[in-house]
Amino acid sequence: MNPYVLSILLMGLGLGTTVTFASSHWLLAWMGLEMNTLAILPLMAQHHHPRAVEATTKYFLIQSAAAATILFASSTNAWLSGQWDIQHITHPLPTVMITLALSLKLGLAPLHAWLPEVIQGLDLTTGLILSTWQKLAPFALLVQIFPDTPLLITSLGLISMVAGGWGGLNHTQLRKILAYSSVAHLGWMMVVMQFSTSLTALALLMYVIMTASAFLTFKLLKSTSMNNLAMSWAKAPSITALMPLVLLSLGGLPPLSGFLPKWLIIQELTKQELGLVATFAALSALLSLFFYLRMCYCLTFTSSPNNLVGTTPWRLETKQVSLPLAISTSLSILLLPISPAVLSLTLPLF
Amino acid sequence: MVYMTYLLLIGLVLGLAAVASNPSPYFAALGLVTVAGMSCGILVGYGGSFLSLILFLIYLGGMLVVFAYSAALASEPYPEGWGSWPVSTLMLVYVLLVVCVSVFFSGGWFEGSWVTVDEFSEFTLFRGDSGGVALMYSSGGGVLMLGGWVLLLTLFVVLELTRGLSRGTLRAV
Repeated sequence: MNPYVLSILLMGLGLGTTVTFASSHWLLAWMGLEMNTLAILPLMAQHHHPRAVEATTKYFLIQSAAAATILFASSTNAWLSGQWDIQHITHPLPTVMITLALSLKLGLAPLHAWLPEVIQGLDLTTGLILSTWQKLAPFALLVQIFPDTPLLITSLGLISMVAGGWGGLNHTQLRKILAYSSVAHLGWMMVVMQFSTSLTALALLMYVIMTASAFLTFKLLKSTSMNNLAMSWAKAPSITALMPLVLLSLGGLPPLSGFLPKWLIIQELTKQELGLVATFAALSALLSLFFYLRMCYCLTFTSSPNNLVGTTPWRLETKQVSLPLAISTSLSILLLPISPAVLSLTLPLF
Repeated sequence: MVYMTYLLLIGLVLGLAAVASNPSPYFAALGLVTVAGMSCGILVGYGGSFLSLILFLIYLGGMLVVFAYSAALASEPYPEGWGSWPVSTLMLVYVLLVVCVSVFFSGGWFEGSWVTVDEFSEFTLFRGDSGGVALMYSSGGGVLMLGGWVLLLTLFVVLELTRGLSRGTLRAV
């Protein structure tokens, strides 16, 4: 792609999210979302491949349907209440429509089916942008909606956790597994959204860090399936040793920083006397943990000598910049001891 | 005037049903042109003649492009219009659906809300729609610039997606 066009597209991507962040008017928020969708389309389709084009088409159709629903719901809200303000959305009908449209944009279950298909068709860098940066703008809108009851958003979160855990179980393709892991993590953010938005922001921050290190590692190892993971010991031994820790952090095991949001979310849910929801959430984390464990097992294969994955593959020296991967990996492993500092980082946001 | 508006509204709903009933692409484009014309007529009835003129010109330009592309991409020897059975059945279903919904919601909103703008235009200095254009250029200037930039961005996106014969992404499939 031409570097000028690439820079224009990346600026559009940044501007879209910024416009949505800065807006208090539904029309501008919708415009920012549309800019985000538009600007990433050529990036998704930049590799001349039918799968990428198919993923782009699916993404475009889903996102434009969700954006049209948002526009319809916000104009319905203006019609019913005379308000275009984002925070003044009070009538139940537009509130529910906007919540569902934003969850379609984010890929929350039961509207998540497009996400694994789309991410599977992309390369890992675009997949990383799609599962981190593109989530920010709809999320910023979603935390500003306060429906009458927290029922819809909390149940969307619970369904997402379970669907993300269950959906990823039987897959061998890493990008699909990462997409389902995104669904499950978004479920954790949604479950606590109506009770503590700063915890939602914390969970989003931690998810962005951890999934960035996962995507960047897979890009470094050039692996998109479980079988490729078994050969990664020969490509980059040190990152292969660290990768199980990152994956278990995504799964939320205690000494790693992925435990932090899950811990605080379960604590908050217990404080709100939602013990059943908290138990359900904790159990659904086990489902996700199973496929992270399978990936760890493939990475740290203990194999008998003289089989195919025991041989060193032919490879080139990588030209990937290692600083982002180093920072994100160490953050996603080591943040738990300074959890009060991390928590105070997201507290002033709301 | 009431009958004119009535006729235009019925034409609008029929046009929408005609587009939604899944005919061949260029008949659907024809239906869209009908919808655009009818809705601009309604806007004239509502008092926004300048707005309606702008909307009609833009719609006409857009529809021309859509019409050309749909005629070029989907040139069928036996196109399905509204004379064929599946299309006409679907259209009938949609019209019935609209009737049911309007019966369900009837009496509520439309009686009070149909007020034309500029009803006492001899007393005011500015007309509603042309005053709105002036406002768009003065206090809405930032958003106007942003909208222009988004249109430029869209141009780049479309050019990047449809470029060349072998390098373009659309032709790969």
